[in-house]
Amino acid sequence: MINLDRASLRYGPILGLSPTTFELPDGGGITGLLGPNGAGKSSLLQLLSGLLPPSGGEVRVFGEAPFRNPAVLSRLGLVPEGDRLPTGLRGDRWLRMMGELSGLSGERLQAAMARAMDTVGMVERSRQTFARMSKGMRQRMRLAQALLHEPELLILDEPFNGLDPEARLTLMALLRSLAEQGTRILVSSHILSEIAQLTDRILLLFRGRLLAEGTVTEIRQLLDRHPVELRLTGEAQVLARWAVEQPELAAMRIEDGAVVISVRSPRDILPRLQQAVAEGSLPIRALDPLDLNLDAVFQYLTKDHA
Amino acid sequence: MPIYAPTLPPSPDLHLGQPPALVIMRFDLARLWRQKIGRFFGFTFVAILLVKVGWIYGKYLMDTNQSLRPLQQFAQAILTQGAEFQAGLLNPAMYLLWFLVALVGGGLVARDTLYRVRPLMYAHPVAPRDYLLAKLGFASLLPFAILLPFAILPWLMSLLLAGTSGPVWVTAPLRLLPAMAVSSLLMGAIAVGASSMAATPRAGIGWVLGLVLGAGTLASMIHGLTGIQAVEGLNPVLLAEAWPQLMTGVERPLVTWLPTLLGTAFHIGLWTFVAARRTRPSEAVI
Repeated sequence: MINLDRASLRYGPILGLSPTTFELPDGGGITGLLGPNGAGKSSLLQLLSGLLPPSGGEVRVFGEAPFRNPAVLSRLGLVPEGDRLPTGLRGDRWLRMMGELSGLSGERLQAAMARAMDTVGMVERSRQTFARMSKGMRQRMRLAQALLHEPELLILDEPFNGLDPEARLTLMALLRSLAEQGTRILVSSHILSEIAQLTDRILLLFRGRLLAEGTVTEIRQLLDRHPVELRLTGEAQVLARWAVEQPELAAMRIEDGAVVISVRSPRDILPRLQQAVAEGSLPIRALDPLDLNLDAVFQYLTKDHA
Repeated sequence: MPIYAPTLPPSPDLHLGQPPALVIMRFDLARLWRQKIGRFFGFTFVAILLVKVGWIYGKYLMDTNQSLRPLQQFAQAILTQGAEFQAGLLNPAMYLLWFLVALVGGGLVARDTLYRVRPLMYAHPVAPRDYLLAKLGFASLLPFAILLPFAILPWLMSLLLAGTSGPVWVTAPLRLLPAMAVSSLLMGAIAVGASSMAATPRAGIGWVLGLVLGAGTLASMIHGLTGIQAVEGLNPVLLAEAWPQLMTGVERPLVTWLPTLLGTAFHIGLWTFVAARRTRPSEAVI
């Protein structure tokens, strides 16, 4: 569905996105585009949504270059960052124009509007002006305009900014539901927890460079320089004795009632640990992976590339 | 893990609607129609139009009624006649039109900038030229549509009252309509160009008024300093008034043919270029 081959983007002398190569397959699913402010997320989304041509390399969406290409643009929906909408304008009128710009008309447009507003839960309140809508409602209307023409690819730039927790959860549930129905969703954020809640398939950008791509587990396994930390809670001395015999051990420290071990290949050590526990030779009360989450992966990657 | 669906739902039939430029123009027109500003200007223009049409009837009466002979001589002494009368059919409306164009046109592009509507539009199958065409078309068609009854109704009235010997020339629409088209395009180009440089609709109104009045003041100053009257071709207000005069063959027009042609081409070209640059997708960043 999406192919980038050394695609880069320059804003005059400033490099917005370094040559980047990645691929997203066809079919539904959610991919998180993660990175701090200024990482190049919006630049990448501008390339994908056909707003800008790449300064170098090649961008292909649905097999074609998206820049000023109606064949591609009619198959994707964009929800840009921000919640500014013409305050005095009624939501349904604005939605109608956006639908017409997508090439819908007549009864098909009416049906598309009804379906999109139903999907985002705005059937009752779409006739209000934007000034009378809450941030969450405005965000849902922005999502509705992107859904009118039933896009196969939905691109959302920082969609959770400014939303309260309830609206955030509602939007996440909505995105999951759309993904289940077959829409490929690319959602950008600089908040790790948002992406972690939504999906574990990520593209990690930092300072204009794509640092990693894949699931959190896949990426974590590639970080050889940072052995995985596991906390084994139980009798510390027995646990420490067992740990030092393991060839994968890279480091160890003893805490109060626990041992924290750093291992290079958790996949190899975990079966042995499981076997030892089953045999009753290892008194473990709890096993906690300390840095297998997105937060840790993000920190390692950005620290290595800083 | 990502969730994969076995198949995609069928896509709706697209490309069945109207061209994007027309959709955007219609949207802008509907928005203007709902605003109070439209009602105010509508009332004012209708009032001026009624006076114009009434004046045609009055002029006809004075030309045909012997009892009004003394009044006719007085009217001839103080009011415009011949080609100037024909060109004057559009004149009072022009000043008001500049204000309307500033108030409406100033926000046309600036509003989309403020609310970041352009990235959304360009992410649909809308080319930048569609957007520019829509804005330029709306800003130009609005003054043209308002001027149209000023050229047609007095002419019809004159034809009905006195046939081909009425106060309005039979060929007047043929001369006034092209003049109106050029003047309207000039107004539209300046309004859209100025609006594209503004970040808010209010700033857009300021930009339009500033450009129109500023260019006029500059032209007058240079004219006053150098004595070269052709410099007045930089003044958009005079240009818009000069076109009906030139097309109807007024003896001493405000600006002569060459400066009018050059000035109009300069303004339309410059401000369309500015608007095109300022509404490129690269300016419409996410």
